[in-house]
Formats: sequence, structure tokens, C-alpha cells
Amino acid sequence: MTSASLAGPAERPQKPQGSLLVPAGIAAFVLITYWALSAEFGIGLDLAAILKDFDRGQIILADVIRPNFAFFERTIPSMLETIQMAIIATAIGCSIALPASFLASRVTSPNSLALRMDRGVLNVIRALPDLLYGMIFVAAVSIGPLAGILALIFFNLGVIAKLLSETIDGVDMGPIEAARASGADRVETIRTAVYPQVLPNYVAFSLYVFELNIRASTVLGLVGAGGIGNLLNLQIEFFYYSNVGLIILELFLLVFVIELLSISLRRRLV
Amino acid sequence: MTGPATPLSDRPEAPSRTKRNIAIFAALALLAWALVSVDVELDRLVALPGRLAGMFGRMFLPPDWTYFGTAAEAMVDSIQMAWVGTVIGAILSLPLGFFGAQNVSSGPVSNLVRLFLNAVRAFPELVLAIVVFVPIAGLGPVAGTLAIGVHSVGTLGKLTAEAVEGIDSGPVEAARATGARPLQVQRWGVIPQVLPEIVAFWLYRFEINLRAAAVLGIVGAGGIGQILSNTLSYRRFDKAGMAIVIIIVATILIDYVSGTVRRRIIEGSGARRIQGDVLEQPELVEAPGSGVSKGSTGT
Repeated sequence: MTSASLAGPAERPQKPQGSLLVPAGIAAFVLITYWALSAEFGIGLDLAAILKDFDRGQIILADVIRPNFAFFERTIPSMLETIQMAIIATAIGCSIALPASFLASRVTSPNSLALRMDRGVLNVIRALPDLLYGMIFVAAVSIGPLAGILALIFFNLGVIAKLLSETIDGVDMGPIEAARASGADRVETIRTAVYPQVLPNYVAFSLYVFELNIRASTVLGLVGAGGIGNLLNLQIEFFYYSNVGLIILELFLLVFVIELLSISLRRRLV
Repeated sequence: MTGPATPLSDRPEAPSRTKRNIAIFAALALLAWALVSVDVELDRLVALPGRLAGMFGRMFLPPDWTYFGTAAEAMVDSIQMAWVGTVIGAILSLPLGFFGAQNVSSGPVSNLVRLFLNAVRAFPELVLAIVVFVPIAGLGPVAGTLAIGVHSVGTLGKLTAEAVEGIDSGPVEAARATGARPLQVQRWGVIPQVLPEIVAFWLYRFEINLRAAAVLGIVGAGGIGQILSNTLSYRRFDKAGMAIVIIIVATILIDYVSGTVRRRIIEGSGARRIQGDVLEQPELVEAPGSGVSKGSTGT
């Protein structure tokens, strides 16, 4: 036997059987891409035409990359409004998301009915993008920051509840057993054994959502939901593209600064 | 003091709460400032529940079913935009991700690529559509698709680079020990390790892009957003309600399918089990590159 195994390359281990799932996945990918790309069924993307018309975009881009700094003063109130909206929405959205997350986690939910209902509602909430909420609330309460704040609250609720309920699913069960053994009821268990474990994550997610809110405010204004986006929309309508350039630059810097702050705060927490 | 008579009051000192209290106070002060200075009329807030109930009633009780065909067609447009945009992002981001990973590419190149990816990521799809792609491609789904594609390059490139930086250096060294050339090292040492993760990122990005594609119509870049925008501005709430129902149902269905495929890809790979978190909150992932030893640096 030993001599046979030394006989050479003939004795290589057999190649593992390839799974049929991989070619099936590739086939599905090719089919869907063809369907979505084709002019007949899909969007009809024609790269040659795009490249030909590429210079049409240059006129606008040339203005955008030369920001009009004289416009800065007029952007300040809108920028402040953006930040105010983000703060209020983060505070309210995260407060609602905390109990919603406890209901949506297997570890802390009182019964499976509450769990399923809560998860169902959260799935529906998460299915709509922030801007659609903006449009809906502008239709309901007319234009202004209130519509934007309401839109952000729903958006935040969806994001935080998803992240936090998954974090709660993964907590260490030891403290929970200890709390139960000492006679704690459900609320007391959550308060003393679960909440302290997920608090750092909860704060980190809230900071993350605050960042997302600042980003979202660029676009919320496009539908009239307040903040810097309103001003942006106005400049686009009047073709003041160098003002657009300044607003984009400011937002870029604001998001960058908030991201830096948020990363350094999160690092201390988690 | 000596002996077993140590009183119970000798508990360890409670950790200082000063920092925590300062942080809470600062957060509350910010919130108070925002609440006082934001331009929201209180009477609107009071009227809100009534108005919302009235509007939702007109939207969903019942929605305008005759509008189903039109809205569904526009939703299909949105799905196609999201798919093609994701494909564009995936194709372009793959090489960029490798060049952006410090253990595969060289220091200056990877920094430059990372900077480029961050800059691209900073522009939301809608801004890209307004400023760049609607002027180039005209009104319609092509402009939205390109906007989604370019924005996805930024996010997918960053995630790809981080996945590549997180690889186990063993297979890379093994490939090199057998005399593999640089490209072969990538093919046999790196790609098999990161591909499942990257494909999962693509699918996750598709789910996000679907939401973006649903709103791009607002600026005329195609898809169901256009319909929602029109019906809402004409206050045809029953039609808007139909569009919203279609968006919700289609999004939840696609999320479910895509999530199932993702889980199969990640868990089926058997190599590493990725926490749901990593996929769900890509922005929270810190670069794990520092853990990779210098000796494993490829070319």
C-alpha cells in the first residue's frame, strides 16, 4: 500500500464535486442583466451614445467645479436648518427605535406574536426610501422642515431597529440568566442585563444615523422637505450651477467633519 | 481593619461618571437648541395626526387598482435601473478595490485609490443625476442607472478593498511558494477568499440601489419615483397609494430573495461566517488591514 501511495501523481485526491448552484447563479445573472439592459425589455443602455454626448454635461460641470464663494453667507441658515432637522430626527427616531428593537429581538420579545408584528411593521417602514417619506409628508403637512423631520424619523426608526435588534439577538445570555435567577421580571431583566450590553452599540448606531441624516438632507430639500436641499433645488432651477458647486462642497466638508467626529466618538464607545 | 470584620461598605469605587454626564449634557443642549430654533409651526404639528389619517385613508382605502399596470411597469424600470447600476458598480469597483487594498497594492497607489473612492461616495445618486447624467443622457432611466452605477463604485470599491485587506495571508504565501506569478497569486491566493464576501456585498448594494432607483424619478431620471411625484403633486392620493403599495411589496420580496441568496453564499462558502452586522452596516466596518503581516504583501 505504501509503495502505491508513493507511486506519483496518479494518486492525487479527487477534485471536489463542483456545485450546480454556481453555474445556475451565473446563468441567472446573465439572463437578468440581458433583460434589464436590452432596449426591448429594459432600459436600453447605449454606451456609444453616452460617450458621444459626454461633452453635453461639460457645460454644467464646468460651473459646478468653480464654486461661487460669495454665496456662502446665504447658505448658512439652510445649513443650520439641516443640522437642526438631523438632531431632532435622530433624537426622536432613536427613542422610538429602542423599545421597537426590544420587541423585534428573539431574546427580549415577550411573545412571538409581538415579535412578528413588530418585525412586519419594521420591514414595511424600511421598504420605503427616505425621499419617498419626504414626498408623502410634504403632501400631508406641506413644505418645510417639519415634513423633513418626519421623513427622517421613519427612516431612522427602520435603520436603528434593524441594527439594534440584531445586536440584541447576539447578547451574552449569562447576565440575563443571572438577572432571572435573582428574581427579575422581564422589564427588570432588560434594564439590568440586556440594555447595558447593547448601550454602546445603540449610541454608535445613533451617531451613524445622525451622519446619514445629514447626507439625506441634501436630497430631502429636492421635494420641499426643508434644509439645505431646498436651497440646492432653487439654484438648480435657476441654473446657478456655481452656487450648486458651493453647496455640494459645503456638504462634502460637513459630512466629512461629522464622520470624523462620529468615528472618534464611536471608537471610544465600542 | 484586620481580620474578617471588613465591612460590606468596602465595595470598589464606582467608576467616574463625569465624562458620561458631560456627554449627555452636551447632547441635550444640542437637542434643546435644535428644538427652539427650528422653523416648525406648532399648529401644524397639532393638525398632523388628523391630516395624516385623512391622507392615508385616501391612499389605501382603497388604492386605485386601475393604476396597477402603469405603476408596476414603472417599478420594473426601477428594478432594472438598480440591477444594471449595480452591475456597472461591481465591474468597475472590483479592480479598484484590489488597487485600494494595502496588502495587495502599494502604499501610495492604495491611498490614491481610497481617496478617489471616498470622493465618489460623497455624491448622492440624486446629485449625480441632476448635475452630471441627466444633462448627458437626457431624461429617462439611463441617467438614473449611470448615477447609481457611479455612486456604487465608491461604496463597493471601499468594501472590496476592506475585504481584501482582511484575508488570511496563508494561501497567498502558499501560492507564492509554489512559484505563482503575481496575477496567479491573486487568482489562487486572494480571490477565492474574498469572492463570496464581495458577491454578497454586490447583492446587498442591489437592495440599497433599488431604494435609490425608486426615488430617482423625482429629478426625471426614470422609474417609479416619477409616478409618485406626479400623483402626489396632483393630489391623486389613491394612485400614489397604489404606487406605494407596489414599492413596498416589490422591495420586501426582492430583499427577501436577495437576503436568502446572500446568506447561502456566505454560509455555503464555509470559510468564515460573517456577522450579519458587517453586511448590514457597511459604513461601520473599520479597516482590518493592520492585522495582515508585512511578509504577505503581494504585488
